Amino acid sequence: MKMDRRSFLSFLIGGAAGTTLSPLPWKLTDDLAIWSQNWPWTPVPAGGEVTFVETTCMLCPGGCGVTVRKVGDRAVKIEGTPGHPVNDGGICILGLSGLQLLYGPTRVPAPLRRAGGRGENHWEKISWDDALALVVEKLAALRENRLSHTLACISGTDGGTVGRLMERFLTAYGSPNFIRTPSMRDAYEMTLHLMQGVQASAGFDVENADFILSFGSGILEGWGSPVRMFRAHSAWKEKGVKVVQIEPRLSNTAAKSDKWLPVNPGTEAVLALGLAHVILKESLHRKEFVDFYASGLDRWKNEVISKWTPEQVEAVTGIDKSTTVALARSFARADHPLALCGRGKGSTPGSIGEFMAVHALNALVGNINRKGGVWAVPGPDYIRWPEVEMDATAAAGMQQPRIDGAGTEKYIFARHLLHRVPEMVTAADPSLVQALFILEANPYYTLSDSALLKKAWDKIPFIVSFSSFMDETAQNADLILPNHMYLERYEDVSYAEGFNKPYIGLAKPVIHPQFSTMHAGDVILRLAKALGDPVQKAFPWEDYEGCLDDTFGDALETLRETGYRVEADFAPGSGYPVFETASGRFEFIPEEIRDAGMQAMVQPQGEEPAFPLILIPFDSQRLANGYIGDPPFVIKTVPDTVLKGDALFVEVHPETAKAIGLSEGRAALLATPKGQARVRVHLFEGIMPGLVGIPTGLGHQAYDGYLAGKGVNANALMGPVEDGASGLNAAWGIRAKLSRV
Amino acid sequence: MKHEQAKKYGMVIDLDKCTGCGACMVACMAENNVPFKEDETNKLDSITWMRVYQLTNGKPFPDTDICYLPRPCMHCEGDHGHSPCVSVCPATATDYSMDTGIVSQIYTRCFGCRYCMAACPYHARYFNWWDPVWPNGMEKYLNPNVSPRMRGVVEKCSFCYHRYQLAKDRAFMEGRRELEEEEYQTACTQACPAGAIVFGDLNNKTHRVHQIVQPDPAHAGRPKNPKAFRLLERLGTNPKVYYLSSREWVRRSGDHYLPHEGPGGGH
Amino acid sequence: MDDALFPKGVKRCPLPEFLMKLGPVVALLIWGVVAMLMCWIKGLNQTNMNDAYGFAAWIWADLTVIALGGGAFFTGFLRYLIGKEKLKNIINFAVLIGFICYSSALLILAIDIGQPLRGWFIFWHANVHSMLTEVAFCLTCYFGVLTIEYLPLVLENRQIDRVPFFHNLTHHMHEVMPLFAATGAFLSFFHQGSLGGVAGVLFGRPFAFREGLFIWPWTFFLFTWSAAAYGPCFTIMLAKITEKVTGKRLIKDDVYDLLAKIAGWMMATYIVAKIIDTWYWATVTAPARGMTFMQFYSNNPLYGIWILILEIVIGGVIPAAILLTRKGRNTPFALMTAVVLGVIGVCVNRWVMVLQTLAVPVLPFEGWPMYYPSWQEVATTLLPVAYGIILVAFSYRYLPVFPQEAELNPIVSEPAAPPAPAPDTDAEPADAELSPAQA
Ligand SMILES: Nc1nc2c(c(=O)[nH]1)N[C@H]1C(S)=C(S)[C@@H](COP(=O)(O)OP(=O)(O)OC[C@H]3O[C@@H](n4cnc5c(=O)[nH]c(N)nc54)[C@H](O)[C@@H]3O)O[C@H]1N2
Ligand SMILES: Nc1nc2c(c(=O)[nH]1)N[C@H]1C(S)=C(S)[C@@H](COP(=O)(O)OP(=O)(O)OC[C@H]3O[C@@H](n4cnc5c(=O)[nH]c(N)nc54)[C@H](O)[C@@H]3O)O[C@H]1N2
Ligand code: SF4
Ligand code: SF4
Ligand code: SF4
Ligand code: SF4
Ligand code: SF4
Ligand SMILES: [Mo]
Repeated sequence: MKMDRRSFLSFLIGGAAGTTLSPLPWKLTDDLAIWSQNWPWTPVPAGGEVTFVETTCMLCPGGCGVTVRKVGDRAVKIEGTPGHPVNDGGICILGLSGLQLLYGPTRVPAPLRRAGGRGENHWEKISWDDALALVVEKLAALRENRLSHTLACISGTDGGTVGRLMERFLTAYGSPNFIRTPSMRDAYEMTLHLMQGVQASAGFDVENADFILSFGSGILEGWGSPVRMFRAHSAWKEKGVKVVQIEPRLSNTAAKSDKWLPVNPGTEAVLALGLAHVILKESLHRKEFVDFYASGLDRWKNEVISKWTPEQVEAVTGIDKSTTVALARSFARADHPLALCGRGKGSTPGSIGEFMAVHALNALVGNINRKGGVWAVPGPDYIRWPEVEMDATAAAGMQQPRIDGAGTEKYIFARHLLHRVPEMVTAADPSLVQALFILEANPYYTLSDSALLKKAWDKIPFIVSFSSFMDETAQNADLILPNHMYLERYEDVSYAEGFNKPYIGLAKPVIHPQFSTMHAGDVILRLAKALGDPVQKAFPWEDYEGCLDDTFGDALETLRETGYRVEADFAPGSGYPVFETASGRFEFIPEEIRDAGMQAMVQPQGEEPAFPLILIPFDSQRLANGYIGDPPFVIKTVPDTVLKGDALFVEVHPETAKAIGLSEGRAALLATPKGQARVRVHLFEGIMPGLVGIPTGLGHQAYDGYLAGKGVNANALMGPVEDGASGLNAAWGIRAKLSRV
Repeated sequence: MKHEQAKKYGMVIDLDKCTGCGACMVACMAENNVPFKEDETNKLDSITWMRVYQLTNGKPFPDTDICYLPRPCMHCEGDHGHSPCVSVCPATATDYSMDTGIVSQIYTRCFGCRYCMAACPYHARYFNWWDPVWPNGMEKYLNPNVSPRMRGVVEKCSFCYHRYQLAKDRAFMEGRRELEEEEYQTACTQACPAGAIVFGDLNNKTHRVHQIVQPDPAHAGRPKNPKAFRLLERLGTNPKVYYLSSREWVRRSGDHYLPHEGPGGGH
Repeated sequence: MDDALFPKGVKRCPLPEFLMKLGPVVALLIWGVVAMLMCWIKGLNQTNMNDAYGFAAWIWADLTVIALGGGAFFTGFLRYLIGKEKLKNIINFAVLIGFICYSSALLILAIDIGQPLRGWFIFWHANVHSMLTEVAFCLTCYFGVLTIEYLPLVLENRQIDRVPFFHNLTHHMHEVMPLFAATGAFLSFFHQGSLGGVAGVLFGRPFAFREGLFIWPWTFFLFTWSAAAYGPCFTIMLAKITEKVTGKRLIKDDVYDLLAKIAGWMMATYIVAKIIDTWYWATVTAPARGMTFMQFYSNNPLYGIWILILEIVIGGVIPAAILLTRKGRNTPFALMTAVVLGVIGVCVNRWVMVLQTLAVPVLPFEGWPMYYPSWQEVATTLLPVAYGIILVAFSYRYLPVFPQEAELNPIVSEPAAPPAPAPDTDAEPADAELSPAQA
């Protein structure tokens, strides 16, 4: 058939019409729609049998019980364990995000040896055997040269078996330099030691208190065991318990409190002494406690009465004298008033004078070791390993003074003074530290005065990180021996911060190790074995699980089942306990620290007029600021008044900002005696004029793209301020200057 | 046809207890496979089914006060089952369940016109501007009960509907039709460390939500509890999320009032 | 070289010159196409839209081009249903502009949705309660009608018309055209209204929400009305611009005058209704929700009361006043000013109904979000402009868009050319007298 124009056109039109009416276009559209619902790059999670594993969260010292939901061999969700003594089903933002850490890109996949310069982040994967051999070679050489004491370990934990294994390793090897990371725990332990003569940690019976007087404690920012504090806070709301928050910035705790007292920064202790003044002057104290169980009241009273009248307190703290009087009365008249201290999350120790002043308030109202009060909770008692048999080298090493000076005459009460290490290392030649282990800690990020820290770091020839994550410290180490992450390993959690009963939680392997990691406990045992006797002799266990078995004995089985052990009916003595001080009584003004104890205030570093403002770091429940870097979910919740793009906002009162010519969102240069950073300004009516508030927990340089490079590390702008009496770092702020750029 | 009494699932959030900790936000993200990007600081394209707002009383130092307000989807009933968002969706990709009162979202039906977002005054709806990307390996934690969404569709809080389905299944296996109050709880309720969220059936007098809120059926569920309020009550969206606050300024922050009106005014 | 394709009796520039002049427009088109492909391939993250501005530049452009394209249905309505025969001299152009506007609107919608491949769900899973469903159905149907209205014009191309089949087809199509025009007018009344309804039904958005009649908010009626008022302005404006660009008079002034006069009356009545609507909203609707009028216009850097003045006074009252006076209509500058102001007025109206509706904070503790389009949005929004110019240019070159062109521009300089064929038998000899501007 010959195709003429007409039939061609008919063919075209007919064909088009036919195709349109056929199922073809519909089929194709439908296929397209289905394809658009099944894009191969959008994952489809696999199903499987659903199981639940109960374990203990180790992301902060909170000690919460968590239940992990698994589908097949995948962990899909972490939830709080209902009925758990610490958190009873609740969970925090960080605990919830644990699986992002487990499966995330920040994990160290295998033992890594540094390939480029330090901190350049070039690594070479090596076998575990090679990695351990490297460490052993180094340690053996040091020991050979009688330099065993130049091995130091910075550890985030010291109570449980892993921390204790590490400490034991150092002892058997011959080094006294096992250093725990600082926190308010140091100050509370020292307070209990000085005033009550005990080695114990402070527990708070918050559930039974009926008046809370908080000296800057971030009850809702992560102080103590966070979930427990949140639950207590809700219970307070239900029962009508009064909460008074004393701090210069309207934190979440302050906002939720019944009364917020914006005190001049750093003068909290003076307010405590002023309250004591009123209580003593008006004889509102509990005589049945003070008269029979306490000593030194008269001397202390004289000081407090003469020095801290409400007028004098007003002049220093800015708190109206009538407020002080009224507050003292309502505090003293409550049935179970409880005074707390430790600023924010409590990640810096603080001045011992301040802790003692606040603790003395509790004593005045008789609220020590009794319902609703502060309890001395003895350290864990389940680790009863035989004494280490030291050889001459070890003994000689152990005789050396600690590099942080803790326990030396000047710092007689201090146990750990990590903030002193950078200075000590920088000062001496050759370096006092020849090898450094870092366990469950990230000092390269958390220590203040970054410039000095870097100098010290450069002087340490051999740095080994045990971190599961590529944190700043790991990134600046020479060798990484990655630990299993907490969801992959057994470990006892010997402590829940601020919990008022002896408690052990057990972390269990919820899931097989995802990478070529090794339990830090096993690494220590293998190092000991490779070093041979006498170090080896101190570790009579096949592996870490064997050690755990041996340590707990039969109790381990029950611990495995329930996930925790708590002395539910623990009471620190019946009625008022016997104190273990020389006098056998509660010491209002311990002889050893008498003068220093009254030096409650610590001045910030820096001078006016170069630094006309004061920078105060503030903590938030939405930002972890310790060893753990925040996973993506957590960073996602950070408000855009804190972080925008990579820029960090500092909080400034509108008037302060106006005086400098800064408006909302403007870029500024924040300078302190320790460093400077570009920031942006967020105007906030809730911060005292003259202050600059900087959020903690940002400014990481390591981890992944979800965290690195965002914001400014507050620690980098701060410096330690040594408390004259205790040696602890008591810095609560630093003088600063904010200028337009 | 015999049918069990229709449920009206709802929530009451105690703002006196809420600490602004954000656990509800993250519990929701973890439960519902909510994606995340490297930069989430632009809150206008950051998917948070549950979002915690910070409210301020606007007073100068030291009388300043702040309050946190978590905002899931309100599961608005509207005036007669006409939620703002449901009635506008051209493709029926979101629906109001008369059985549960839950406003569903069907991701594979949604074609991304975003009309529902324009309709929602609570900004409870989120568009997937990007393909969801989980860094290598992290997709292992994804929950198989909730499908990850693809780019180009809208998503929002579902009152963890899959938990309802699972609970119904379990009950059914045990030969029961009715769920106990605690059998169906949302992920945010479960996680909240402050116990600030209470979830349940507003129609069921034995459920805590009902007891706390005391919804008034004669006035489209307006709370009889004087401490309770709803967001933008006056728009007639008839939300099923209620808030409690003992602070007058907080209750007043939940809606607009003309200068001469007090809360509840204008009616 | 392409002379054979030109309409009878008119002069066109040489092809190379024509193509060269279109060069920049084609470049604009390519830029738009690139941006469009980026949006399709990479997704809507290429835009500056966000969860607060889920509707933005595109939806504004969509609503606007549909309002401006309203000249087609309203002129058709006037010609075929009311019997304003004179408008046949501009109806082709109005239909062409309508066709461009509606095809652009559909294209923009296809770019705007997050899952373009599922766009047809709007038909397949239609929700009858949704204004957008109504819009989609009417829009698509009306686009079909416009195609049918435009097709005869294409077929009237001199070469195509020589094919007897097409010649007859054209003839028959012309015969049934009133039916299509009526259908089109009906559909348009609806979808213009539905577009108004899109914003007006949003009872969660106090800025846009309006009470109304039955299921339709007042914006439904206002949108139809305004499209009828402003659409012809746009047609006039473009026709005038086409005249400027071609350097020829293409439509007689009496035609302009008639259309402008009708537009003027529509606009005047519309703007009265709009003022009443605004008044009622400001004093009754919004306060019932606890909101004051100025709340919608303060505390932000952009959305101020100036917008309302621009829309109602400058873009409504003033052009209506001009168009209502004979002098205004017959003074070229005044007429042009009026239609341009009118076009601005309707653009602003559609802009506030989309953008400001979303920008006004509804939760009392939220602020005003601000937005500016990304280059991809700008490029894709300009894409229809480029495409429109090209389509107008080609239509003008090859199709008898302007029936009066030959008459108004007799070819005298080329005696060699065969004389123009006799004008159509239905040409009205009275035309010249009616047009005072020709005198
Ligand atoms: N336990 C229980 N069983 C039921 C029912 C019930 O309610 N409970 N309901 C019954 C009924 S009515 C039905 S229809 C069936 C439904 O049964 P299924 O079809 O199994 O339904 P889902 O569990 O909703 O989805 C199955 C899987 O599809 C994944 N998925 C989601 N989106 C996509 C996608 O775009 N592409 C691909 N490839 N996968 C995707 C989901 O993550 C999920 O893992 O179940 C029946 N069985
Ligand atoms: N978010 C979300 N939404 C979904 C789906 C999803 O996966 N996720 N899946 C979709 C799918 S595939 C489906 S099929 C639908 C299911 O949606 P629905 O059909 O609404 O499912 P159900 O709520 O399981 O059951 C409806 C009601 O029937 C009651 N019922 C149970 N047994 C009987 C009986 O013997 N007699 C009578 N009279 N009533 C009975 C139940 O108690 C319940 O109130 O949900 C759809 N919606
Ligand atoms: S509070 Fe601490 S221990 Fe508890 S869940 Fe959160 S991170 Fe884990
Ligand atoms: S988890 Fe609870 S306390 Fe925390 S922000 Fe959410 S509602 Fe508030
Ligand atoms: S809150 Fe928004 S998304 Fe949720 S039901 Fe109401 S209108 Fe719809
Ligand atoms: S974006 Fe999706 S759910 Fe929302 S209206 Fe459009 S199709 Fe419906
Ligand atoms: S109810 Fe479920 S989906 Fe909704 S916010 Fe809470 S956790 Fe998310
Ligand atoms: Mo189904």
